[in-house]
Amino acid sequence: MASAKEIQNRIKSINDTMKITRAMYMMSSMKLRKARQRLDNTEPYFYSLQEQIREILYHFPDMEHLYFDNRDEDEQEKVKRRGIIVLTGDKGMAGAYNHNVIKEAKQLAETSENPRLFIVGEVGRNFFEGIQASVEKEFRFSTNHPTIHRARVITEEIVELYQQEELDEVYIVCTRMVNSMKQETEVTRLLPFATHEFIDQELLERAREEQAAKNRTSEELAEAASQEYDTGEYIIYPSPYEVLNSLAYNYVTGYIYGALVEAFACEENARMIAMQSATDNAEAMLHDLSIEYNRVRQAAITQEITEVIGGAKALKKKKKKQQAER
Amino acid sequence: MSSFELKIVACDRLFYQGECHSLIFPGYDGEIEIMANHAPMVTMVEIGELRYRPEEHADWQKVIVSDGFIQVDHNKVNVTVYSAERPEEIDTFRAEAAMERAREQLQQKQSIKEYRISQASLARAMARLKSTGVHTDPK
Repeated sequence: MASAKEIQNRIKSINDTMKITRAMYMMSSMKLRKARQRLDNTEPYFYSLQEQIREILYHFPDMEHLYFDNRDEDEQEKVKRRGIIVLTGDKGMAGAYNHNVIKEAKQLAETSENPRLFIVGEVGRNFFEGIQASVEKEFRFSTNHPTIHRARVITEEIVELYQQEELDEVYIVCTRMVNSMKQETEVTRLLPFATHEFIDQELLERAREEQAAKNRTSEELAEAASQEYDTGEYIIYPSPYEVLNSLAYNYVTGYIYGALVEAFACEENARMIAMQSATDNAEAMLHDLSIEYNRVRQAAITQEITEVIGGAKALKKKKKKQQAER
Repeated sequence: MSSFELKIVACDRLFYQGECHSLIFPGYDGEIEIMANHAPMVTMVEIGELRYRPEEHADWQKVIVSDGFIQVDHNKVNVTVYSAERPEEIDTFRAEAAMERAREQLQQKQSIKEYRISQASLARAMARLKSTGVHTDPK
């Protein structure tokens, strides 16, 4: 059994560590709250962009565009040059968060030919540079405190390569928050957009609206009919192509910004949970150690008492002996 | 007098949602005004000053916007822009600093990509400064 002094030292060091984990927990929870707020704030913007792309595609489903996947050239190409954007954290101590992202990204990179990796976050960069993957050296961004400006710069970089056709497909590996306890790593194709998905969604939406219209009372219907002034014309100015061009660009920016914010929120959430369990573990250890410490202390006291009693007894015997001899 | 529903969405917040009598925004090749019962339309919004009238004789409300889109459909107008600010919210000092920075960057040799970014920041900074300046009055 360890001595009381040793146990006391351990208790002290665990206490110190616990202070750190607790502080990190608090910081993470604060950052998480901010990130969540930002995510909520940006959602209307993102949905609005998505809706507009859907609208245009619904009216012009056959339009061929660089950003969409219905071009003939795309179907003819056999080899796709893939760009993979990976969003990892800047530091560890976040449970399995970084591992999950890296695992997915590695898998995707291994299944594609000559992928180019665009890595955001220090942890992922270190890993992929370590295994000699083709990491873009110039592409250096951090996931800490995402801003829309950073999302723009990233988009500019990616879209430029995509427009020069140096990349045929762009994937993004990031983490989504399912609920506050659960998060999932997700691989999504960012570019080109899946045209039919947009159109399908628009059709679904329209069907739902029609369904809602059927359920309305006749009065409401009459009112709605009087407001109807549809000329059947749909103006897209200056041209659908032009509008889609910049709409798609903004959509990518919005998507990347959303992904950055969500990844940041997930990272902080993972860190919060990790730090929480570290604090819990430290508490459990402290509990065990304090029991052990008390036991050791008790044992030492008992031993001392026994020694004193033994000594006293021996002295008594000696005295008796001396008295008898006299 | 008829009015329409206006919704202005910026990337960091829902800027405005409510009634609007008329709306003027910086379009692809000049300012465009939208009034009630406009035909369905989708077009781009450039960096500059957007203004709207919540009621017929109300004062124009100025908003500094950067690039985005506008969608008109069944008397509902959705403006989706990257940023939207009222003139009094603008930090002149910051805008000036941004303008200086962008000017400086534009004088250096840059790739086309960097050039575009600096040019957009310059345009944004100038639009912001213009709205807070004394000599501009849209009426």
